[in-house]
Amino acid sequence: MSPEVDSRLCRPPLEPNDDPALRARLAAAHVAIIGCGGLGSNAAAMLLRSGVGELTLIDFDVVEPSNLNRQLYFADQIGRPKTQALAETLLRITPDAKLNLIQHCVTESDLVDLVSPADVVIEAVDRADVKAMIANTLLREHPEIPLVGASGLAGFDSANTVVTERLIDNYYLVGDLESDVRQGHSLLASRVMVAAAHEAHAAIRILLGHPQA
Amino acid sequence: MNVDIALFAYLADYQPDGLGGRSPRAFTLAEGTTIADLITTLGLPDEPRIVFVNGKHAEEPAQLHDGDRLAIFPPVAGG
Repeated sequence: MSPEVDSRLCRPPLEPNDDPALRARLAAAHVAIIGCGGLGSNAAAMLLRSGVGELTLIDFDVVEPSNLNRQLYFADQIGRPKTQALAETLLRITPDAKLNLIQHCVTESDLVDLVSPADVVIEAVDRADVKAMIANTLLREHPEIPLVGASGLAGFDSANTVVTERLIDNYYLVGDLESDVRQGHSLLASRVMVAAAHEAHAAIRILLGHPQA
Repeated sequence: MNVDIALFAYLADYQPDGLGGRSPRAFTLAEGTTIADLITTLGLPDEPRIVFVNGKHAEEPAQLHDGDRLAIFPPVAGG
């Protein structure tokens, strides 16, 4: 990164009809992302590009060659912890972003503490049992924090079947709810990124005070 | 007691009427039936799931009550 870059230039431009208060609200917001794979890495970039000021990125894994077909990593980052590699890329987009990196596999006992400072939590993990653990734990122990999860984004069915639903007050779900990787469906960059965009946009709408899906 | 039950995604195949779909169905259950009892009765697979009653997250040992609206959602893999 060039030290001469004015970080203000990296913020979304204010259009004539933009409300500075809304931009300020996003700049003050903090989103925790659990899982920095196809969903989480792409959602993180979209959140920062939309003006969210602070992200907590949680992932235990390292970048592998098989990640490059849909995740926001590069060949020269293979072998590096995903949280660090992603942070490096995100800071090239938004140099003044506040990023909290947690290289860790979340468990039922530490999940609430790890995400508690955030205004919104995005579940972006791959395994169904971990998705259920995250939702069951947060909805039971921390029901006041909005949770955006994903289920059903594999395969090449229409992108139009990936939707955002508000299942209950503070639990939003993105996907077609059906397409399971375990059924042999591939994870295609195009459809995964549609789901990542839905997750990021749901978080932004929640932060801006639009709780409807 | 009467309870409405909605089963999401592939769990819809376990609705006793065989019609599929996530729309809620009315069930008559014995007093004291728990969510876990109902899951056993329906024969739902032992897969990850999230349970809601009346728009709130619920735990499976909880008893159901007349008029409750139960929904069960099974997340699937991919991320």
